[in-house]
Amino acid sequence: MNLIAELERLAPSLQSGLARASSLSELEALHIDFLGRKGALARLMSRLPELSPGERPAFGKAANAVKEELTALVERRRSMLVAEAEESALARFDPSLPGRRPWTGSLHPITLVMEEICRLFNELGFETISGPEVETDFHNFEALNFPRDHPARDMQDTLFVSDGIVMRTHTSPMQVRSMLERKAPPLAVIAPGKVYRRDSDITHTPMFHQIEGLLVDKNISLAHLRGTLTLFLRRLFGSELKVRFRPSFFPFTEPSVEVDISCILCSGTGRRPSEQGGYDESCRICKSTGWLEILGCGMIDPAVFAHVGFDEQCTGFAFGLGVERVAMLKYGIGDLRMFFEGDLRFLRQFV
Amino acid sequence: MLLSLNWLREFVPYGGTGEELGDKLTMAGLELDGLSRPYEALRPIVVGHVIACGRHPEADKLSVCRVDVGDEVLDIVCGAPNVAEGQKVAVVKVGVTLPNGLTVKKAKLRGAPSHGMICSEFELGLSEEHNGIMVLDPAAPVGVSLLEQLGLDDEVLDISVTPNRGDCLSVLGFAREVSALTGLPLGIPPLGRVGRVGRGSGQLDFGGIENFESGAPAAKSIELQVLDPELCPLYLARIIEGASTRRSPDWLRFRLQGVGLRSLSNLVDVTNYILMELGQPLHAFDLDQIRGGRVLVRGADPGERLVTLDGQERELLPSDITIRDAEGAICLGGVMGGLNSEITAQSTGVFLESAVFHPSHIRRTARRLSLNSEASYRFERGVDQSGAEFALNRAAVLMAGVSGASIRPGVLRDEARPFKAPLISLRKARAEALLGVPLDASFCETTLKALGCELRPGASAAASGAAAGALPGDSPSGPCDAEAAWDVKPPSWRSDLTREADLVEEVARVYGVDRIPAVLPAISRSLDRAAGGESLFDFLSRVKHWGRGAGLHEAVAYSFVSHRDLDQLGVAGGPDSGRISIMNPLSDELNVLRTHLAPGLLQTLRNNLAQGAASVRIFEVASVFLADATSETTAREIPHLGIILHGNRFERGWPQPEGDLDYLDLKGIVEHFAQAFALPEPVFSQSAMDASLPWLAPCVDIVCNGVRLGLAGRVKARLADPFHARKAVWLAEIDLAAARELHRGVRPRFCPLPVFPPVRRDITFITPISLQAGAISEAILALRVPILSSVRLIDCFEPENKAERKLTFRLTFRHAQRTLKDSEADRQRDHIAQSLETQLGIKV
Repeated sequence: MNLIAELERLAPSLQSGLARASSLSELEALHIDFLGRKGALARLMSRLPELSPGERPAFGKAANAVKEELTALVERRRSMLVAEAEESALARFDPSLPGRRPWTGSLHPITLVMEEICRLFNELGFETISGPEVETDFHNFEALNFPRDHPARDMQDTLFVSDGIVMRTHTSPMQVRSMLERKAPPLAVIAPGKVYRRDSDITHTPMFHQIEGLLVDKNISLAHLRGTLTLFLRRLFGSELKVRFRPSFFPFTEPSVEVDISCILCSGTGRRPSEQGGYDESCRICKSTGWLEILGCGMIDPAVFAHVGFDEQCTGFAFGLGVERVAMLKYGIGDLRMFFEGDLRFLRQFV
Repeated sequence: MLLSLNWLREFVPYGGTGEELGDKLTMAGLELDGLSRPYEALRPIVVGHVIACGRHPEADKLSVCRVDVGDEVLDIVCGAPNVAEGQKVAVVKVGVTLPNGLTVKKAKLRGAPSHGMICSEFELGLSEEHNGIMVLDPAAPVGVSLLEQLGLDDEVLDISVTPNRGDCLSVLGFAREVSALTGLPLGIPPLGRVGRVGRGSGQLDFGGIENFESGAPAAKSIELQVLDPELCPLYLARIIEGASTRRSPDWLRFRLQGVGLRSLSNLVDVTNYILMELGQPLHAFDLDQIRGGRVLVRGADPGERLVTLDGQERELLPSDITIRDAEGAICLGGVMGGLNSEITAQSTGVFLESAVFHPSHIRRTARRLSLNSEASYRFERGVDQSGAEFALNRAAVLMAGVSGASIRPGVLRDEARPFKAPLISLRKARAEALLGVPLDASFCETTLKALGCELRPGASAAASGAAAGALPGDSPSGPCDAEAAWDVKPPSWRSDLTREADLVEEVARVYGVDRIPAVLPAISRSLDRAAGGESLFDFLSRVKHWGRGAGLHEAVAYSFVSHRDLDQLGVAGGPDSGRISIMNPLSDELNVLRTHLAPGLLQTLRNNLAQGAASVRIFEVASVFLADATSETTAREIPHLGIILHGNRFERGWPQPEGDLDYLDLKGIVEHFAQAFALPEPVFSQSAMDASLPWLAPCVDIVCNGVRLGLAGRVKARLADPFHARKAVWLAEIDLAAARELHRGVRPRFCPLPVFPPVRRDITFITPISLQAGAISEAILALRVPILSSVRLIDCFEPENKAERKLTFRLTFRHAQRTLKDSEADRQRDHIAQSLETQLGIKV
């Protein structure tokens, strides 16, 4: 029974071969050598006719057993090698390599602040509106109760396009435009946008951004203004914030109010913790007063209502806020001019 | 406005500190900007008594003095010619620093030891006088601080006065305010009395006018007439004679210097003293220069000229107020005097004016001629017509008192428009409705009276209270009180109080606006507005968020650029056509509104390249401006999206592939934008409008559904060079008004998913370089093969130096109702290949 003996030698031979095989390709070669169509097993099987018919069933049975054994040997070794390969691949895997990052962009801090504020007022029921940056004297001044040749005009250094046409010095003309368009209360709008003044130094740029808010209805009071602004400023700067009202003057509001918030750096104490513990002499941001000027507001002046044809007995409040000022406080930006230089090292910080 | 606390105390007995007062005023709407002690440096300087004074043995010009300073006697070498035994002098001891920053040290002068310094006024920072030491009052006690001796221990508040509060541009104005806020009594000093001006000197009192009156009545010498009452409702004057011009006494000089005014001479200083104290600007003319015994007030003659005090010849307009004598203008009323009537050192007669001029005329003149002064500043803001005479008389007495002059009896007067207070009705209910707090009627009354208003109960109280929408149930003293109303006459100095709202503000100011509670309003909205579409702000906001998501950085640049920037880019139009210029630009760099975002983006690129940025992907969303005569504002403002690309495609390099940003990046971003906003597929074609956009080459037109959406291209190297760009600069500008319009037209509809599988066939054409890929896909689509669902270019191979390239297109076939057979797809592919071969003459 030569053939059976040869058959039985196959398994030890494959085993030693597999033991030497260190890669999947070597394993595949052995697989083909022993179990392939022209492999050792197939060659032995092809010699079946040499056997007498009586021997054939026994040989066949033995051959099947050997085939199973060989297959099992290959599979066992294969799974070992696969496991080894996975292990070595894992050992080589370096999760710390830099990622193939897609482009990342950023939004300008002015955009971020404007959107945050507008969203907040939208939630309260204010509608966002926009209007022209080149503006008529009527909308920018006259209708807002800045008569020609009145010193109130000195409060805003104006850039002129022509006689009677100016670069808007504030977003307040949107009060006039929205009331003229709407013709009657109620009215709750917020108007963000660019404004321009003839002013350029360390704390002024000739272009900056404001947000105007306006609420006109029956029985709107200064207390409502304070409520609205307190809510808004706390949402913006934190619920601990204190809000102070101080009389002021704007031609288009009466009474007019300047709003201060407790200093966000020293929490209104006027003093700052120093690095050594204890307190520094003074807070740089609020100049030790504990308060920061944040916006101007007031009850809409009857003269403005008269200009837009609203009943003078209706009441309403308006406020105007400098966006850069808020962004500087919120993000700790010290230099106003950085906003308009487009330096990527600055822009990238505001995703 | 600089306010001396000592000066204020001559009008109101305020006992607190400057800081406390500053807080109080700030919370009443008069904001404290700063607080200083102008003479603080004099505190360590003491009064010394020169008990011996001898010639220095080694130097003719030096004296060796023994000076008693109270607690010791010092040897001091002094170089002043006027030092003498027995004098009381200002002594700076060793170790003390002078106002000019010099610290006095122990010294030896030519061998003589010196333990201090005897000072001149110049060294003390009190005046320009440096020819000799300052000699003090012989009664000054030895050893006391010079600050105390001179009565200069003072605090000065710097308060910003809002334009409506012209009445607060004086000590008197603040005194009224302090009195109203604190309840302290207001005491206006007698005509000739000025306050404590030095240790022990008590109050200086020159007495009344009668003490100085002499000669014929003033009206005998000068005939006064206001010819245009509109310009000048009140003109008052007095005549002063026999004055001698000299240096002002200490109290006058130091007080003016303390509030920032330079002392000039006694006559001028008195006018400034009254200006600062009472807020009434005065003007002193040289009486002898008034020709013809007449003074007239009217607008200037057209083309008239006047040389003003500063030596400038001014051309006048009829709206300028002139004071004239019989021969012509001698003063630009309320703005600046004429050189021809100026007070000089030789002047002895003074024509002293105290007038009220029309605020806007003064303002127009002062602005046109750039002649802003303390006087014009106050006239613009309104001066108290009822206070003008007191100011004139006080000034006359002080002037006479400090110059040895006499006053001619009688006031020259032309009050063409006597002051008439408006009558304002104030309803308590309206005040409560505006402020949102309940008010006490008696509080309102007390407050307004304290501010100088006259009140009487109003007639129409009940009716108007209801109309104002009184707060329900908050009345502290019953229904009568709720209906309280008054007719109010504001005082003559408060020209800002003309309406009910103004009075409400006054009540609120004194009540304390910070005491007003925070209450959230209910916000009612009308249905027709609530249903409106997306606002422009929200649309632009979405564009910005898209930009961030697309990997671009948002920048914000100024809306103005320079004409030169636009010219360099070759933008059509000039200062007179299409562009909108700024009449009064801050600089030539910012003299025109941008017509494109390109200049700003290029400037931003330059800033970044200067910082070494290797990869720049920036966008901006902002309006551009075009002149438009049909617009109410003469401008058309169009929101644009600008994109600029330059340098490395990926700033970080490996593992990202290396390469520079190019046209396909820019185009891809624009396509991405169009897709993100569901716009119709944009078509990119080389622009024939190159002439109007000469800064881009290539310049590509972007068109959506026939609507011009924008342009994209490469900034010409010649133009990019000044911005230090070494690599290609790619720039796109999208018209967001057009994009928004297209976007609004989009109605998203669901399209059923295909049921049957697609069959794909690739086809490669060998084409001349000059044939655009887009032309091939268009030609394929034009064949209108029904089962062809898409054509896409998937490979482009351009061998170098060949006039041909290989373009591989992938054709996707699909049938809506059944699975396609391979043979059907092959047949169509062959049909397409053959058609294009014949149509375009290209090889497959």
